[in-house]
Order: sequence, then C-alpha cells, then structure tokens
Amino acid sequence: MLGSFAVLRKQSLLGDAISHAALPGIAIAFLITGAKDSNTLLLGALVSGLLGTFWIRGIITKTHLKSDTALGLILSLFFGFGMLLLTFIQKQPNANQAGLDKYLFGQAATLVESDVWLMAIVTGLCLLVLFLFWKEFKILLFDKDYAKTLGFNTKTIDILITSFIVLAIVLGLQTVGVVLMSAMLLAPAAAARQWTNSLSKMVLLAAIFGAFSGVFGTAISASQNNLSTGPVIVIVASVFVVVSFIFSPSRGLLFRQIRFIANRRDLEQQKTLAFMYHIAETHEDISHPHTIKILNNFQGFTRKTLQKLVDKDYVTIDGTMWSLTQKGFEKAANLYNQQHKTDE
Amino acid sequence: MNSAQIEIQLIASLVAVACAIPGTFLVLRKMAMISDAISHSILPGIVIGFFITQDLNSPLLILLAAITGIITVVLVEHIQKTGLVKEDTAIGLVFPALFSIGVIMIAKNANDVHLDVDAVLLGELAFAPFDRLFIAGTDVGPKSLWIIGAILLITLGLLFAFFKELKISTFDAGLAASLGFSPALIHYGLMTVSSVTTVGAFDAVGAILVVALMIAPAAAAYLITTDLKKMLLLAIIFGVFSAISGYWFAHWLDASIAGSITTMLGLLFLIVYLFAPSKGLIAVMYREKQQRIEVSLLTFLLHLKNHDDIEERHVNHLNEHINWQKVRSKTVLDLAQKNNMIEIDNKIVSLTEKGDEFTSKAIDYIITNEDAQIEDMKDDFFLFRG
Repeated sequence: MLGSFAVLRKQSLLGDAISHAALPGIAIAFLITGAKDSNTLLLGALVSGLLGTFWIRGIITKTHLKSDTALGLILSLFFGFGMLLLTFIQKQPNANQAGLDKYLFGQAATLVESDVWLMAIVTGLCLLVLFLFWKEFKILLFDKDYAKTLGFNTKTIDILITSFIVLAIVLGLQTVGVVLMSAMLLAPAAAARQWTNSLSKMVLLAAIFGAFSGVFGTAISASQNNLSTGPVIVIVASVFVVVSFIFSPSRGLLFRQIRFIANRRDLEQQKTLAFMYHIAETHEDISHPHTIKILNNFQGFTRKTLQKLVDKDYVTIDGTMWSLTQKGFEKAANLYNQQHKTDE
Repeated sequence: MNSAQIEIQLIASLVAVACAIPGTFLVLRKMAMISDAISHSILPGIVIGFFITQDLNSPLLILLAAITGIITVVLVEHIQKTGLVKEDTAIGLVFPALFSIGVIMIAKNANDVHLDVDAVLLGELAFAPFDRLFIAGTDVGPKSLWIIGAILLITLGLLFAFFKELKISTFDAGLAASLGFSPALIHYGLMTVSSVTTVGAFDAVGAILVVALMIAPAAAAYLITTDLKKMLLLAIIFGVFSAISGYWFAHWLDASIAGSITTMLGLLFLIVYLFAPSKGLIAVMYREKQQRIEVSLLTFLLHLKNHDDIEERHVNHLNEHINWQKVRSKTVLDLAQKNNMIEIDNKIVSLTEKGDEFTSKAIDYIITNEDAQIEDMKDDFFLFRG
C-alpha cells in the first residue's frame, strides 16, 4: 500500500536499500540487549533503516552522486557491516544467536501471535495516518512546489511518509526477508498502477493485490513441502504484475497493440481511398472504372482494405475493375480537407 | 603472514580491481543499481548450471550465470521501454522475481547438496585458498585466484582497447552514436563485463560485497576527481586499500572477511564524503555558508548605495532594517571592511570608491539577468571571501 507512494515518488529501489540497511540495526540491537526479543530487534532495524534513508537523502542532495549510486552504496555498505556484526555475534559465547539470520530470508512460519498483533497494529496505524494526511500526501506527491506554496511543511510530510515506508519494510522483513522485501513493496503498486490513474483506487488495488499474493503464495507454499513462503509470494506478485502489464485495458501491452493495429488499418484504408480519389479526380466521371492492379502496397492497399471500402459503400468492384461511388468520392474529398485542417 | 593469508589478500585485491573498473562506468552511467540486480538474479543461472553439470566449479556455471545477468538487463530494458513503469521500478521488479525462482529451484531440487543461498549471497573468502587448481598434478594456486585473474585480464584488455569509445559513449551518447560507435554494443559489452565480473567474484566474496566493491570505490573517487582516468585509478586504489585493510580487520575481529571489507569501504566512503575537497559534505556546507554571507554582503552594499540619508546608514540600523541578527550583521560588516568596500566613520557606514564600483557592476549584472557573472566579479574584487 505504501508502496504506491514509493513507486510514484520514483523511489522504488528505496525498499531494497532499506531492507538491507536494517540488518546492522538488528545485529546491534541484539549485541546491546543480548536477547532475541523481536520488538527490540525491530526497533534496531527501524533506527538503522531510517539512518540509511537519511544518509541516502544526504548524499543525493549534498553531492553530485546520483540516487542510484547512493542507494547501491548504502545498501551494500550497511549490509556488509551487518554481515560483519552477524559473524562477530556468531563467535560470541552466547547460544542465543541462532535464528538471527532468519531475518535475512524471512520465514512466515516462525511468526508467533504477538508478531501478528504487532503487524496488525502497525498496519492500522499506517491506515489511520494515511487517511488523516491523505490530502497532504497527494499534493506532495504530484506537485511539491504547489504544496510548499500552500504552506504545508513539506519536509515533515516527507519524513512522515518515509518513516512509514521504513516501518512497513522492517515489519515485512520477518515474513519475506531482506532480498524479497523490495518486490513486496513494488510489485502490487506497479500492478495497480496499470489499472487506474486515480491515487485512491491505486492504493486500494495495491492493497488488494498485495493481500492476494500473500494469501495465494502462502497457500501454494503450504501445499508443497520444501517451498519457502517468501519467494512464492514474490512470484505470485510478479505474475500479477505481468498480467497487469499485458491485460490492463488502457495501458496494457495487449490492448495497446490492438489499438496500434486498428489505427494502422484505418490509416491504410484512408490512404487507399485518398489514392483512388486522386485518380478519380483526373476523370470526368468519378465512377470511371480502373484496374485493381494500379493499387499497390505503397498506397496501403490490401485485399482486406479494399473489401472494407466496398463494405462501406465507398467503392464498387466489378471483376478486376474498381470505381469510386459518389459517396466514396465525397468522403475522400472531406478526408483530405479534414487532414488539411488538422495540419494547420 | 603465511601463504594462505597472502593468497587471500591477493584474491581480495584482484576482485577489488576487477570490480572497480566496470563499477566506475556504472556509476557514471547512473546504472549502479543494475549491479545489485545482476548480483541477485544470477542465482537461477547458477542453479541451472549446477543441475546440468552437477559440479559447482565448472566454467559452464559462470557462463550461464553471466547469461542470466544479461537477461536481467535485457528484461529491465524491455519493461522500461514499454513506458508502463520507470527504470528503477523495472529493476526492482525483475531481480526479486528471478532470485525467487532461484531460491525455489534450490529448495525443490538441491536441498541435499552444497549449494545454499547463504553461500551464494555472502561467500566466504577464508576458504578460497583451500580450493586449489591442479594442472598436471602440480599445485598452481587457488582456483578463484585464476578465475578472477583471467576476468581481470580480459577486463583490462577491453578497457585499454575501447577506452576512447567507452569514454565518449558514457559522457555523450549522442556524439558516440554519430561517430559511428554502436551505443547498444558498448552498453551490452559493459553489461557483459559486469555480469562476468560479478559471477567470477561472487563465489569468492559474495554478491553483496561485489556490489559494494563496484559502487563504493567509484563513488568515493567520483567525489574527489572529475577526470575519468584519475577516477579509475583512485577507485582501484580505494578498492585494493579496503580489501587489504578489511582482511586485517577481519583477522583481528575474527569475523567475516567480506563483511569487514565492506565496512572498510563504508568508512572510506564516509571519510571521503565528509572531507573531500570541493565535493565533500563539509566543503559544500562551508561553500553554502560563504555564499549566504556574500549574498548578504551584496544586499547590504546595494542598500547603502540606494540610501544617502545618515540614519539609514547607521550601524545599528542594520539590525532592524535588513532584519539581520547581530552576529550576522557583524560578520557582514567585517567582511565588507576587510575588502575595503565600506568605511565606518562615527558609526555611519559609507561606500568606498571600490565598493561603489563593485555595487554598480553588480546592479548591471542583476538587471541584465546575468547573475552568474557576479561570481567571476567576486574574484576580481574580493581580498577575503566570506
């Protein structure tokens, strides 16, 4: 859901970066407390995720490095540091450390009831904030300068959105793991984007897609043994995206191709008609018959287009000869005029 | 230092160099995240290769993985070309999907063999020397040393052969195309090199470290210099430095070598980020402050020029009229005096001849909308900068 904002803000890969950046936070939280209480670990993840995000922002605004470099940099550096800490922890004489790496790849099955409650609460909180600041988010998203002139504190709202994205990611880490979190954030939103241009619908659709891929993914992974949940969920989500890409009515590839072909047919038909018109112009009698042979592919002629013209009663065919009808002649003349008009 | 340690450091340094070269171009071409995507999505290629050969060390694995890497790039580009989503979203969609496929394939079919996700993602440099290559029965060194050495040689060869083409197409794709170089060819060439490097390096150091080694040295070098050759050289030096220091850090901590090399890279980048001359955070903030004071100075001088009456030019008046705080007006006044722009006589400020000339010129530039010229003018007039 929050992914919608990330996608629209062109910060898609932020999710990836944050989920990696959360690792050292988990490790440090564990080092400090020495316990594997999921709440403190999440807190650590949250802090280091936020730290990473703001460092990324600092790099982008203060230096000439581009956002992709900043993202890749923070992602790999934080993750490497996290790995260092994890291996360091493993050498510590503390038997408690097993299972920290569960956070890396996620294991939905390890979730306990309290985790689920925590997630539910945070989701509710996200929803609440989303409703409260809907208008502000929307303006900030599409026209930042306008939001500023209206007197909104863009910085605060910005930080608010970012923090919530980070929060959502950190929570999701337990379920699908570091690597696949970015897909969970992105895929539903990218799929939803194809179906609608309205933000509210998009957010709703993204939530539905996300929930569906969660449910389906879990179901599939439960039905077979040896299938980890995270990857299956991601694949289901990716399938949603592919389907949306192809079949969405207004933006989808399939319909675009169909429209494209239809347009080309129209154009070819008009070209043929115009060519006929130019020939007919030179004759006294507009319905003077000509052979079909003089029509060729360059004029957009195909058997089909000719048949269509006949169907529309613009042309009559007699054996291998064709002739324009009065109606066809007028149509062609107007066609020409209209084209001129639009040219001007 | 025993021979295993030397070998580990040698491998790490070679990997660092091999990564720094394509990394520099990736950073310059704003495609840094592609390396992350490649490093994840080569997983299915490796898995398929493993199913075919049943041998983790076969060169086919590297080939297949490199092909998967290129497929990733192609997929990303195709999704992007449809115009349905932006490039970064396309990257974010493609590589988790491919990675998931890889993970599932491992889980379903290869559960009992030595091929697990951790090994792929994290790698373990410490074991590299134990995996040795034998030619005709004699021990010629660790296998990964040879692999990465070969990749490095190829990369270097390509770099020297196509340096001019790479340079032009990186900075001016249009010019490169009009000169007859195929941008697509160079693009895919670079992508292939990146994929191969990633694959060759990852079993020694792991996918994440590959990304770090590609991006971090190049990014740090980019903050220091804008010259491509110097940038390449600096990136290589940074890479090798953190590889070796990272090794000793890991040795001391008894932790993962890959992790500590990354940490060293992070520290290195942090230092460069803060202290780089002219591009670093501190330099940028200093310059911003200087600009602010100089703009205030200009405002102040213009104010003086516009007002002849004595009460408008009184020192105390500045605080209330131009709405500055005391400290700020003091700084501005001091700067103006140091530069001989104003005279203060009995708390009444007046422009000197030089100040007057400066202000008139500045007004000219402002009126004709050539504000940029003021910067050059400052060099002529200022003895001290803000």
